[in-house]
Amino acid sequence: MKMAKPTLTLPQYIFLIHGVQMGVGVLTLPRETAEAAGTDGWIGIVLSWVLATAASLIIIQVMKNYPKGTILDLLRHYFGKWIGIAGTILFSLYFGIMATVIFIREALFIQAWILPRTEVYILIALLSIPSYLIVRKNITILGRYSVLVFFMTVWMMIFFIIPLKQAQWLHLLPLLKEGWQPILDSVGTALFSFGGFEIAFFLYPFLQKKEKASMGIVIANTLTLFIYLIITIGAFVFFSPDEITIYNEPSIVMLKILEFRFIERLEIVFFAFYLFVISVTVLPLMYMTVYCTSQLAGEENHRRHLIWLLIIAFVYVVLVPPTFDQNKLLQRLIEQAGMVLAFAFPLCIWAYLLILRNIKRRGN
Amino acid sequence: MAFFRKYKKTSASSAQQSQNRIKSYRLSSGLKENLAKIQSTFCDTPDLVIRKLVIKQTGSQAAVIYLSGITDSKAIFNNVLDPLLFKNDREHDEADFKVSLGHIREADSWPEIEDALLNGETVLFVEGLAEAYIYDTPKFPSRSIEDSPVETYLAGAHVGFNEMASVNVALIRHQIHNRELKIKEMTVGERGKTKLSILYLADVVNPEVLKELENRIKQLNVDSIINAGVLAEYIEDQPYSPLPQLLLTERPDYAAAQILQGRIVTVVDRSPTVIIGPATFDVFFKSIDDYGSRWMVASFIRLLRYFGFFIAIFLPAIYIATISFHFEVIPLKLLFSVGESRERIPFPPYIEAFIMEFTLEMLREAGIRLPAKIGQTVGIVGGIVIGQAAVEAGIVSNIMVIVVALTAIASFIIPSYEMSSAIRLVRFPMMILASLFGFVGIVVGFMILIGHFISLESLTMPYGSPAAPLRFKEWKDVFIRTPQWSLEQRPTATKAIQKTKAHSRPPGGDDS
Repeated sequence: MKMAKPTLTLPQYIFLIHGVQMGVGVLTLPRETAEAAGTDGWIGIVLSWVLATAASLIIIQVMKNYPKGTILDLLRHYFGKWIGIAGTILFSLYFGIMATVIFIREALFIQAWILPRTEVYILIALLSIPSYLIVRKNITILGRYSVLVFFMTVWMMIFFIIPLKQAQWLHLLPLLKEGWQPILDSVGTALFSFGGFEIAFFLYPFLQKKEKASMGIVIANTLTLFIYLIITIGAFVFFSPDEITIYNEPSIVMLKILEFRFIERLEIVFFAFYLFVISVTVLPLMYMTVYCTSQLAGEENHRRHLIWLLIIAFVYVVLVPPTFDQNKLLQRLIEQAGMVLAFAFPLCIWAYLLILRNIKRRGN
Repeated sequence: MAFFRKYKKTSASSAQQSQNRIKSYRLSSGLKENLAKIQSTFCDTPDLVIRKLVIKQTGSQAAVIYLSGITDSKAIFNNVLDPLLFKNDREHDEADFKVSLGHIREADSWPEIEDALLNGETVLFVEGLAEAYIYDTPKFPSRSIEDSPVETYLAGAHVGFNEMASVNVALIRHQIHNRELKIKEMTVGERGKTKLSILYLADVVNPEVLKELENRIKQLNVDSIINAGVLAEYIEDQPYSPLPQLLLTERPDYAAAQILQGRIVTVVDRSPTVIIGPATFDVFFKSIDDYGSRWMVASFIRLLRYFGFFIAIFLPAIYIATISFHFEVIPLKLLFSVGESRERIPFPPYIEAFIMEFTLEMLREAGIRLPAKIGQTVGIVGGIVIGQAAVEAGIVSNIMVIVVALTAIASFIIPSYEMSSAIRLVRFPMMILASLFGFVGIVVGFMILIGHFISLESLTMPYGSPAAPLRFKEWKDVFIRTPQWSLEQRPTATKAIQKTKAHSRPPGGDDS
């Protein structure tokens, strides 16, 4: 049987990026922005979207210089073998830590909300099974998974609209209560939630219609913006401005008031289903990690690396029982590294490539 | 072509044996030697008939040989023996032993002769000729064409395949009168020599998919293909999957409909089922009734089937998960009645569920194995006695009986038997996951199922299409069925080279 090179269609590309962005951030986003800027926090989200979209477009511009390969091939091509290897190590560390942190956070959420008496390492072992089964395949399968899960879970947004019956829209007014300064502060936290578009560095060579890459990434960012806005504004008008900061995950607490004739405590069912959304974040990150490490080892098959990654995550959880605080601290750290990788790094390379092209043109 | 391959295979296997056999590979010209050889090859074969005679036309010694059970003796008497014994038509060529049969060929090697005899053909040896004449006279015992007992439909033709490949091919030809309907014949099996006929529309089917199927069949080296299910298991893409990847059907109208969609039908001789590939998950939820009845009804029933699919997989798991982990999800009033019915039950919900599910599966299997008349008794014993008594004895709860009954009915509304058995199988791991981790276990199980589903292939074509990869345009004929005139395209998953079907506008459409 011949093996065709895996490719991504435009929807797969869009929903992969969008899926990685969504993740666990959406649960805590209303609280985090409210802490920084009160009910004006949503303006911060819109501003972060502008920044994220700009950075994503720069990434696409960078990748246009070397459409055949990923960022790793591009680094090797323009900067030589050693910088290529260094870049591969950095990327694999970044994605590896990011994937593990969110993976553990997923288990912590389950423990906190659904199964308080189950150990975290058991949950990690349980979650490893579907992760292994999906990530061991190629990027096309992950793309299909992201698309399918998006359409399977998008109906969950309806539940955020039902509580709006009790909304107090006055909470949003007046705009710019305390000037621009707190809003700019909230951009700092909101920007993290848009992190994830940097996987476009790796998706670009697989995309079938490369001319649509820019459009696709803008759609992905905008989709994320819409979902964030619905949930954040929904939470702002649902809770009182002071109350919202008490809850760890206001997005889920909101659903507690939902009750139907046939089902109560909807948030438990909702949260169980939400695992799908988290998996769409974790699985591509895991794939990126093992993609980088298998490139580094020069292996075609990433299956062995994946097993090691899952074992490392498991051993880590057994040795260092995770807590929310510790997990959050790690996430903060890795997100700051992510800011460098997603914003500063593409900008630098882009500038370098522009200069390089100008010099060449002048030389001619 | 197929015959040539078989010939090569036979010669390859005999090459390991002694040189003698190769020497005696050709027929001799002496009638006596040939008859002796036949008798030694077919020793302990009482149904072998050797009729010695003198041909009137030429006056030469000859022998007619056939196997009595599998040949059409009337045809032999009237159309072979009669002309040879009594006709003396001098106008013809001397050596031309024309008999009044449609299909005549000549053979000069022993393996050919053997094959011919075992295929129910009649062989004529003539003194002084190193060739034998083979007359096409097979008549294997077969049953008449009946409605399929396994797949019953309301709207389709009341015709099912039977065990004769030639009849089955004819039934499909009856549906598709087109010269592009091509048939490739192959033979599989060292001992069984099962004849396979691969049917497809030459200007529709994707040649690469066809080649893939042929290659997989060619690589087979087995004793015999007993029925179509055996072949399907040999050639499917992922044998370690619970889901069926090739569609099996007993209905010619359904098979023909699938050929028109750009799929390939493999007819297996001696089996009343044919194999259809490449299959996607949605074909297992379709029946010919969906096209025969009006589209709204058909769409409703389709949706019902998909709903049944999820019920059959998840309902017992959800029951276990809610009762043992998340009872707070159930509204209070319902919780009271559930609690009341579970009051006397000494077992945790998962044991209760497993007892009932296993009982149900056993009842189902018993119902299949027993003759139809006793089968009803099983239903009464199972349904009324066990169900009612188990509840009264306080072993299982009423709610559990309802759950199990619903699951069973939900799994039976899926038209494909393979798919509904697969679903019943998948239910058990789901129940185990639910009993260990509640809703999280169910979601993880679902994730595993989806992860498996999206990476599955059928003859290298994606199995999940048009859901994964997502093709919204083709959803016109998946979960619902829109009116016939709107179904203009063949599914992408067959990679048909002719994508658009013959189609017409709706009556009273834009033009009128």
